[in-house]
Amino acid sequence: MRDRGWVVLAVGAAALLALPFLRDQLGFPVFYLVFVSGALFWAAQATSWNILSGYSGYFSFGQGAFFGVGVYSLAFFFARRGLEWWVGVLLGGLLSMLLGLILGTIAFRLRKLRGEIFALLTLAIPFILVAVVRLSRTIDGGQGVGIPVPSYPDFLRPFQHFYFVLSVLVALLALSLAYAMRGTRYGWALFAIHDDEEVAEGLGVPTFRHKMIAIAVTGFLGGLSGAVFALNLGHVSPEGTFNLRVPLFVIVMSALGGRRHWAGPMVGAVYIHTLQNRLAAAGFEGWSLIILGAVLIALVLFAPDGLMSRFTRRPWTVTGVLAGVVIAMGLVDVGQPVDRLAVAMLVAAVTAFLPGGKKRRARVGETATTLGGVVPGPDGEGMPLPEVGRPLVTVSEVAKSFGGVDALAGVSVTVSEGELVGLVGPNGSGKTTLVNLLSGALPPTSGSITVDGVDIVGMTPHKITHLGLARTYQIPRPFLTLTVSDNVAIAIMFGRDPKGLGASRDAADAFLAMVGLDELAHAYPSEINLHERQLLEMARAMATGPRVLLLDEALAGLNPVEIDNAIAVVSRIHRSGVAIVLVEHLLRVVNQLSTRMIVLNQGLLLAEGEPAKVLSDPDVVTTYLGKRPNA
Amino acid sequence: MSKRVRTLSILVVVALWAAACGDTAETTTTQAGTTTTQAGTTTTGASPTTAPEPSGDPIVVGGTLALTGAVGATGNIHRIAGQLYVERLNAAGGLLGRPVVFEPLDDESDPTRVGDLYEQLISQDRVDLIMGPYATPWILQAQPVAERHGFVLPQHTSVLAPAMSYQCQFPAWSIGPEPNVFTPNQLADALDSLGDVATVALVTNSSGSTAFVSHGVPDVAGSRGALHVFPERGYQVVADETYPPGNTEWGPIAVAIRNADPDFVMVNGLGIEANGLIDAMSQLDYSPRMIFALFPAPGAVLAMGEAAEGLLSVSMFEPNEPILAGLSDEVREIVAEFEARAAAAGLPYTTFETQAAASWNAWDILTQGVAGAGSLDHEAICDYLLENGADLTFAGHVSFPRENNNFWPTNQVLKQVQDGNWVVVWPADRAAAPLRGSSG
Amino acid sequence: MNELQSIVFGVLTGSFFALIALGISLAWGFLKVINLSHFGLVLIGSYLTFQLATSTGMNPIATVAVTAPAMFALGALIQWGFERFEVSELNSLLISYGILIIMIQVVQNTWSADFQRMDPGVNPYFVQSIAIGQLRFPVPTLLAAGFAIALVLLAHYVLEKTYAGRALQAFGQDRQISSAFGIDHRLLGVLLAGATGASGAIAGMLHALGQTLSPDAPFEWVGRVFAIVILGGIGNVTGTLYAGLLVGAVAGAVTFIWSASVAPLVVFSLVVLALIFRPQGLFLRKAEH
Repeated sequence: MRDRGWVVLAVGAAALLALPFLRDQLGFPVFYLVFVSGALFWAAQATSWNILSGYSGYFSFGQGAFFGVGVYSLAFFFARRGLEWWVGVLLGGLLSMLLGLILGTIAFRLRKLRGEIFALLTLAIPFILVAVVRLSRTIDGGQGVGIPVPSYPDFLRPFQHFYFVLSVLVALLALSLAYAMRGTRYGWALFAIHDDEEVAEGLGVPTFRHKMIAIAVTGFLGGLSGAVFALNLGHVSPEGTFNLRVPLFVIVMSALGGRRHWAGPMVGAVYIHTLQNRLAAAGFEGWSLIILGAVLIALVLFAPDGLMSRFTRRPWTVTGVLAGVVIAMGLVDVGQPVDRLAVAMLVAAVTAFLPGGKKRRARVGETATTLGGVVPGPDGEGMPLPEVGRPLVTVSEVAKSFGGVDALAGVSVTVSEGELVGLVGPNGSGKTTLVNLLSGALPPTSGSITVDGVDIVGMTPHKITHLGLARTYQIPRPFLTLTVSDNVAIAIMFGRDPKGLGASRDAADAFLAMVGLDELAHAYPSEINLHERQLLEMARAMATGPRVLLLDEALAGLNPVEIDNAIAVVSRIHRSGVAIVLVEHLLRVVNQLSTRMIVLNQGLLLAEGEPAKVLSDPDVVTTYLGKRPNA
Repeated sequence: MSKRVRTLSILVVVALWAAACGDTAETTTTQAGTTTTQAGTTTTGASPTTAPEPSGDPIVVGGTLALTGAVGATGNIHRIAGQLYVERLNAAGGLLGRPVVFEPLDDESDPTRVGDLYEQLISQDRVDLIMGPYATPWILQAQPVAERHGFVLPQHTSVLAPAMSYQCQFPAWSIGPEPNVFTPNQLADALDSLGDVATVALVTNSSGSTAFVSHGVPDVAGSRGALHVFPERGYQVVADETYPPGNTEWGPIAVAIRNADPDFVMVNGLGIEANGLIDAMSQLDYSPRMIFALFPAPGAVLAMGEAAEGLLSVSMFEPNEPILAGLSDEVREIVAEFEARAAAAGLPYTTFETQAAASWNAWDILTQGVAGAGSLDHEAICDYLLENGADLTFAGHVSFPRENNNFWPTNQVLKQVQDGNWVVVWPADRAAAPLRGSSG
Repeated sequence: MNELQSIVFGVLTGSFFALIALGISLAWGFLKVINLSHFGLVLIGSYLTFQLATSTGMNPIATVAVTAPAMFALGALIQWGFERFEVSELNSLLISYGILIIMIQVVQNTWSADFQRMDPGVNPYFVQSIAIGQLRFPVPTLLAAGFAIALVLLAHYVLEKTYAGRALQAFGQDRQISSAFGIDHRLLGVLLAGATGASGAIAGMLHALGQTLSPDAPFEWVGRVFAIVILGGIGNVTGTLYAGLLVGAVAGAVTFIWSASVAPLVVFSLVVLALIFRPQGLFLRKAEH
């Protein structure tokens, strides 16, 4: 399956590269090479944008910045300073990558509003760049820079052939990178970040590093492609380079084609490029933009996820229609070949919307609500309770205040190997805050926390996960665009014992079996119910290979049958050798499961010890339970 | 929902298909309309007066123009002028006895599309001849494509001589080899004649030809522009403001000008930029004694009314009565016919002036080159033009000196807004009315 | 004094852009829609003002009586479309871009690509200005400032003091929960979009009052408007106004002291700095929580 993509890329590239040399035999005008060069340029730019923005969800409105740096690198180093053209092109890619890394360093570190900040930052950068280019007489000065014709090998003459070959190579590089990322952990890290960055970080994904990789790739490709594009323009100017065209079009093309698929942006690029070209050529004076706008609106409305998601449901039909229309029109000799392509593309798009086609199997409905079948695997009760060992987590005098409110006012607890600690307390007592502090989502105002002897205050959450501490969320936060199985696989990929993509997917089955979700492996989170999602949270957290698991109200909102099932699962996890901190409201659950209980109240430790003792402590009874103890 | 999508998509497909098939067969309204019969006209291209019907396969002239977008206003002027020219040409017997067809494509004011479109016209559509697009940045994109295919490129609006290096590029509007030196000097001559101007302020759109005229070429040592020429001529430059293209903030610049209080303001800008500056100065209750705009939108300037009186600019042709009187009747017909067409197209300003004249010149060059060479072979056409020059309806005989990148000695004049119209005022021997000095 | 005059020019022009930014910011903040078609509404409003005043001799300012309801309807219609098709934030950007280019093309087909300008007889305000001491306040942009302040105050009042306004705030903060409270977010959204459309018509009228019209204008506005939206804080009504005035003042001062080419460099550098150090916008929102 993996290899198929590489074969397609290799064959496609080889076929395209052969075209210029076969032009005489095949007898087509050089215009087609120019036309395809244009499509390849847009494919490269759109793919470049998509690697960061489509895969990871960090929308960039500033693709024009990378493009512009590439263009002006060529203009400056090649045209003005007389270096070799390929030096200019390479520098275009590298300088652009540097710009991306600088932007990433500024924007990716900030904790709040990460996505929106980045988008707005990228909106502002091109305006700064254009002002600099215009003001600096060294770089441009405003009048533009003439780009001389580069010298290139004779066998690539005329210039259009040379430019075509360059365009193919750059596009090939872009598509290869996009494809490769999609098939490895790098791409999947980005998908996880796209769905829920905080959760991904908590599962061990080093989010900052992966975002930097993504923006570096995006920058490099954008700059490289821009520099090559500049070779073809006789003359570059600030206003011609830094305008809204590139930033907007790459978004349009990627969204149209599909942002999840590596070839989506390319498909979108081919569509828009062909459409624009045909509209101009047809002389629709006064109507071109109206038609373009209308087609854009229609395609976005009816294929909000992009065309590729529709095409992949019936790939042979679509290919058949495309080829069929082109051939049919050719036989009847209607229009020019590019016209035929345009019509074929539109017809193919329409066929993609027809109902039917290969549907993805979710295997839902088999065991969803029949809980009898949700508990395969060994029953937890057969296994012995683990021994209590050394302390794994030590919390010392930890306090956390938000503004004037003290969520935690100085709490000290320990969690040791083999324990199942029940953490209870009324609303606002600080339970979830404590969990957030332990997982590294928030820093404490004062106090210290160590995990396995290592001070974790100030550590990024993914490192804490690698130390062996994982958590679930009260309201489950699965990765919505990944299947149940892949949700778990991500945790394995980046957990304490990281594996590659394929191995992780295989290993995911074991964890799904542990919680009883293996029948739903290929379902999407939107298709499973609350209880199943909570089980998924647990499986996913377990897949990171933790030694301590924080379960934050993992049983909230369940009916009694589901609760019993959940209790069995938690017990099974505990007996497999994982210490657990169970934050819960339901006292019978805490009573049944925990080896030790901690009661918080108003940010302070109220009571601690054996569950039976704690539950009969009068202070606990009064503050937490009211005057009557819970039966 | 999918039914609606299907219908919509099919409609779009059909529309595209129809247009793709239809564009070579359809005739535009201008061509389908009645052609004016001209008795006793001498057409450019030296055909006999009573013209036979042109026959045979049409000669297709391809090209792009900005018909929509930022510079669409002027692009449409060139389209109308070009199509009128072709109509008259066909009425007078065509070119080499064959009818000529000209349907410019819309480059949507986007220079980066020009190259691809010309490539398509030449290598896919196999047009016989090409005509350049509108405005220098666009023409600069068409030049390498023309050069690669060896096509003669007549172009009507790029005066940036140093950049127009292609041997077979032929300018229809020339300010000589050094517009950046010529124009300020011409202005200085005119100001000299008034005698009461001592200080000059420069306001420049920092892009392309406007910056070129103000400051010369930045990375060429010794390159001069207005900033250097005026002091050479004894004028003091008291302000040198620049703004980026697309600027809409004129207030602060107006303040700077008012502060400098110059006798003469040279606004090297495009379109409505001078308008904005004048408006802003009026709001300060300040109006400069004399003001010049390099490439204004002529109609928009006149629409300013009183505030624009006395504004100077450059031109190659204005249909002022004294000038028309010195030219053939044919010219009057052209002027009148163009104005009718422009009005029909809904343009607010319909006068046949410098832009349209430049267009006409470009077509003269093309047709005379073909007629002189007797064929559509571009090498022959190019050789013929380089050797013989051309007779331009609005510029007389011109030759194309290679040492100046084919730029012929200029026929540029200065025009001025007088009583709500553009009037040629300098040099005195070609003026339709005297230059008016500052209103005090 | 010259610096001050430049700043006055800048501040007043800034208020015009703040008015446009208001529409963008409200839609982005409360409706979660990045609505580029708002620029189209301003453009159409400006051309309608031009046409009405020129054809009927109506006072150009009075044309808003016609254009505001028209743009209200158009704005509401577009929002209704977004709601009906449950368009995501990204897709709203794409669709509104499609709508914008259609609008620009329609305007061009109707009024030609050439520049249009109301005759001085029809529009005497073009070059008028009010003198206060040594300073002059151009009338078109002074009116813009007046309208901007009025509309911002109105928006602020509605958002903070009325039930509908607070429902909108809730909706802006958390869509799902707010709808659980029975707030008809669809209707509210459509009304808000209509209101921003009407504000666009007013901005259009002001544009026609002081500038020569060209169909391409929206692309010149985008940068400045988004800078103001960012600095003001998305959805922060009073912040948007202050940001517009600030950006205008800075641009005016920088233009006078250095050059107009430096102004965008300063403004956008300011934006970048603000994003790094104060991402929620420079100006404190009056609201709490």
